[in-house]
Amino acid sequence: MRRFLAYLFAVVAGCALGLGSALAMAGLWPGANPLAFGDVEVDGWRSDFAIGSEAADPYTRARVARHGLLALAKTEAVYFTRTADDAGQPLRETCRYRLSGGAMPAGWWSVTLYDAQSMLPPNTDEALSIDASRAGAGRWEAVIAPERPLGAGHWISSRNAGAFDLTLRLYMPEAALLERPLHTLVPPQIERIGCDGEDAA
Amino acid sequence: MRRWLGPLAVLLVCAAGVHLAALQLAPGFIMSRAMAALADKRVVLHGFTAPLRVSPQTQNVVRSSPDLYYALCRYDLDDPGAQVTVRMEGWPDYQSLSFFDARTDNFATLRGTGQDVAVRLLPPGSTPEEGAIVSPTPKGVILIRRLAPDAARFAAATETGKGDRCGLEHKVAADPGQG
Repeated sequence: MRRFLAYLFAVVAGCALGLGSALAMAGLWPGANPLAFGDVEVDGWRSDFAIGSEAADPYTRARVARHGLLALAKTEAVYFTRTADDAGQPLRETCRYRLSGGAMPAGWWSVTLYDAQSMLPPNTDEALSIDASRAGAGRWEAVIAPERPLGAGHWISSRNAGAFDLTLRLYMPEAALLERPLHTLVPPQIERIGCDGEDAA
Repeated sequence: MRRWLGPLAVLLVCAAGVHLAALQLAPGFIMSRAMAALADKRVVLHGFTAPLRVSPQTQNVVRSSPDLYYALCRYDLDDPGAQVTVRMEGWPDYQSLSFFDARTDNFATLRGTGQDVAVRLLPPGSTPEEGAIVSPTPKGVILIRRLAPDAARFAAATETGKGDRCGLEHKVAADPGQG
């Protein structure tokens, strides 16, 4: 009887261990940061160029299925995500940030704000992104804050976002970006302006 | 000590087996749930559904962009004699027609900025044909993206989308002839 119970425990524990380790390693475990993966990082913006392709390893495939379903393969679009500001602090609704950048090595680009569930945060501000058509040519700047700041040209609303991240989409990427992303991409900077309870920096 | 070797081996084999199985099955499981959710939200089989502009209130899938028009068509090619004919109406800005199988692979994308695109989708195992793409799995999703970052352009994209087509057809059987 004890021998039977030992084998039964081994089966149950083995299944639990296998399932838990698969979910954790694929970034699917509840509470795990699904964005702490990828094979490309440029100034804190992470991407996985295997997204959408059959070449993606099973961990990437499972993670993308959950957090980036229907994402395009890299020849059509690449996606970079960032969860922290330039000082390395997690992005959060209670702070205000200055997002700035310039031209991108792609036919079209956008930066969009998502909450921890990889969804657009539940607000009605209609200000959840900035894209190449609105930013115009050359240098651009946008403020990320829970309320529209006075005088800001471009605003991305973080209202009801909690801890959030930003996704940079680069559609029709230039070949050089795919071959040498570190040398080709100058991604947007994220400077923290201030947080609730702090003096503005 | 030796009496624990058997249970330990069973534990490791079960862990490895479930680990691999979970990874293999997760994309298909997630995709099937997503397709069921799309069906619940009236994304029809074999037809592009006129989309609402993406917002926190209308989003259907994770990380969709509020700057893009997305039109979805679910397909089912379980019948090996069937094919899906797809047409993407011309749009002056960026647009693409992308195909995703039941394991979430983006197995084909056709860019169509400023032009119409027409293509046929064939069941798995079909002989490749000109003007056709073979789907790796019987079921999947076809997605049109159009760049439409404001309400006016989204309305224009919706008008253009009335010309999009995604329909199931049965291929005409070849005449067997006289031997």
